[in-house]
Amino acid sequence: MAGLLDKRLWIVSGKGGVGKSTVAAALALRSARAGKRTLVCEVNTQERVSRFLERPEAGPEVAQLEQNLWAVNVRPQEAMREYGLMVLRFETFYKTVFENRLVRQFLRFIPSLQELVLLGKIMFHLQEKLPDGRWRFDTVIMDAPATGHAISFLSVPQVLIQTVPPGPMAREAQKMRDLLVDPAVTAAVLVALPEEMPVNEALELHAALRDKVSLRTHAAVLNQSFPERFTEADLEALGGHPELLAVAQAHHDRAAQAVLAGTKLERNLHAPVYPVPRLFTPEFGRKAIEQVMEHLEPLVTGAA
Amino acid sequence: MSTTALSPALAGKRVLICVGSGGVGKTTAAAALALRASVDGRSSLVCTIDPARRLANSLGLTALGNAETPVPATALEPLGVHPRAPLYAMMLDMKQTWDELITRVASPEQRERILSNRFYQSLSTALAGSQEYISMEKLWELRRSSNYELIVLDTPPTAHALDFLDAPNRVLDFLDNDAAKWLLTPALKAGKLGMSLFNRGGYVMRGLARFTGTEMLQELSNFMLAISSLNEGFRERARGVRQLLEDPSTGFVLVTSPHPERMDEAIHFHKMLKQHRMEVVSLVVNRVHPMPTEALWADAATLTPSRRAKVEETLREQHIMAEQDHTGIAQLQAACPGVPIIQVPRFAMDVHDISALWRTGRYLVGDETLG
Repeated sequence: MAGLLDKRLWIVSGKGGVGKSTVAAALALRSARAGKRTLVCEVNTQERVSRFLERPEAGPEVAQLEQNLWAVNVRPQEAMREYGLMVLRFETFYKTVFENRLVRQFLRFIPSLQELVLLGKIMFHLQEKLPDGRWRFDTVIMDAPATGHAISFLSVPQVLIQTVPPGPMAREAQKMRDLLVDPAVTAAVLVALPEEMPVNEALELHAALRDKVSLRTHAAVLNQSFPERFTEADLEALGGHPELLAVAQAHHDRAAQAVLAGTKLERNLHAPVYPVPRLFTPEFGRKAIEQVMEHLEPLVTGAA
Repeated sequence: MSTTALSPALAGKRVLICVGSGGVGKTTAAAALALRASVDGRSSLVCTIDPARRLANSLGLTALGNAETPVPATALEPLGVHPRAPLYAMMLDMKQTWDELITRVASPEQRERILSNRFYQSLSTALAGSQEYISMEKLWELRRSSNYELIVLDTPPTAHALDFLDAPNRVLDFLDNDAAKWLLTPALKAGKLGMSLFNRGGYVMRGLARFTGTEMLQELSNFMLAISSLNEGFRERARGVRQLLEDPSTGFVLVTSPHPERMDEAIHFHKMLKQHRMEVVSLVVNRVHPMPTEALWADAATLTPSRRAKVEETLREQHIMAEQDHTGIAQLQAACPGVPIIQVPRFAMDVHDISALWRTGRYLVGDETLG
């Protein structure tokens, strides 16, 4: 089984609130420690990765967090500007066209343009080279939007190719799609919790990415799993303590749910599932991310 | 028995809107409120967005569709309560609701041109705020054309509170877009883009065309032409929606979970609702971990060493989770002074069955309380 380290674009998605940014931060830290120049991209959101790693906010420009690790919060306005400049070449022309208030308002209504420039910026960094010809970033990690939005976000190139008349937008879209569907370059990691809705959403996301984007699921992460603790004999022995039994039973049920969720994911995704236990730390910062990172070691290196 | 702020709201409001981030249990809260209201004697409709199929099943329905469906009495039998008024449920199909709206406001010959235009597809599915808009538009329609004493609306999982509150304005913007008119007028007049090269609009248009392609702009101008005649109808309806949201018989229920990020979003949402002069009846914090009692610890101390260790480990973990939740709730209360907070515990199993809905409802009205 190939590890993530063999790929260049790692896409992390899943239902809202399952810990996508946690997983993205842990993967980014691991990639950087493997000596890869790593860029972690958040998409137009409240920044979390830099906060988890206890670093200052990166903002909309690529900023270095630590050795081998950079971050950026890709925002539509800045991405649009970069894209506009690339297409129009001249700053003054760009200003006349794009910094016009009315034009800005108008641009919001061109379907998928916003997603296209956001994704475009990430793809640009993926192909960026240093003067000596090496990649500027060996690994690009995309902390993608949540399920529904991720599907529309990642299928933008495909949709544009099918619907937009030939032109600059269609050409950009074609380039992006070629990278997204290349299994040697791109790996999708789906994050879920051991609960019904997050697991179902991961399955939906898997099917939609496969059918609409031709993107294969590389692996799933089952976050906040409860490890098994109480045996049937334990529960029986607690029969005389009904309230303690309820506590133990609740833990037992959550552990059972984790096993069930793991099986369901594995069967339907045909991809390995890596459980990360629920952490009981008062502060969720760098230490916690490092713990999560250790649990994701086999996902990153591909070792069994 | 104590009651919560939701108790009088269930008895008196005509519309309750459950808002909040995705994955916090909004749909469950909405269904629990409508169920409770119908049991207590008010005819109720719960209008959900993309619910778990099990929610439909637990209401005795094989699936929820875009039409209002009565919940059969047999579905409520396991509760041992008999609703004194009917309960209805429906699921909002965004695309279909948009199509219905266009059909309602457009003339027959406009209809086809609009429905088949690809910009309409993007308006009805992808434009930020369009889902939020159509769900409120549907609410207004339901409120006008039906006799439910209470309608509980579940809302799309909105990442940004502004998407929600700003939705009517954004959609109106789209339909009556000064920018589009200004840019496209020369093109519309000439019947072709790029003809009037010497006016300012023409210059900007050529720049834009390099960006998007000319054909795209041509199609967009066709769409703008087709839809601009509908503005008056839309405008009037949007005003109606706005009035309904501000009406004293309408209340918002802001649902969150104790997760710190969800709490931040709830605080932001609350601020936005206040700014827009919307009434927040209550904050609901779902899936709260109860603090283990002293009695539990004492009881655990009597167990055999290996079992005691396991149980104490579990209690310690629960203690940490309860403490985290408690801190979060205190911060939430400090950030939203004067708004009642209702806590619903995390139920042992993750289920959407009818008894879990019922129990959720009992916490929501204060029949049971946490801690």
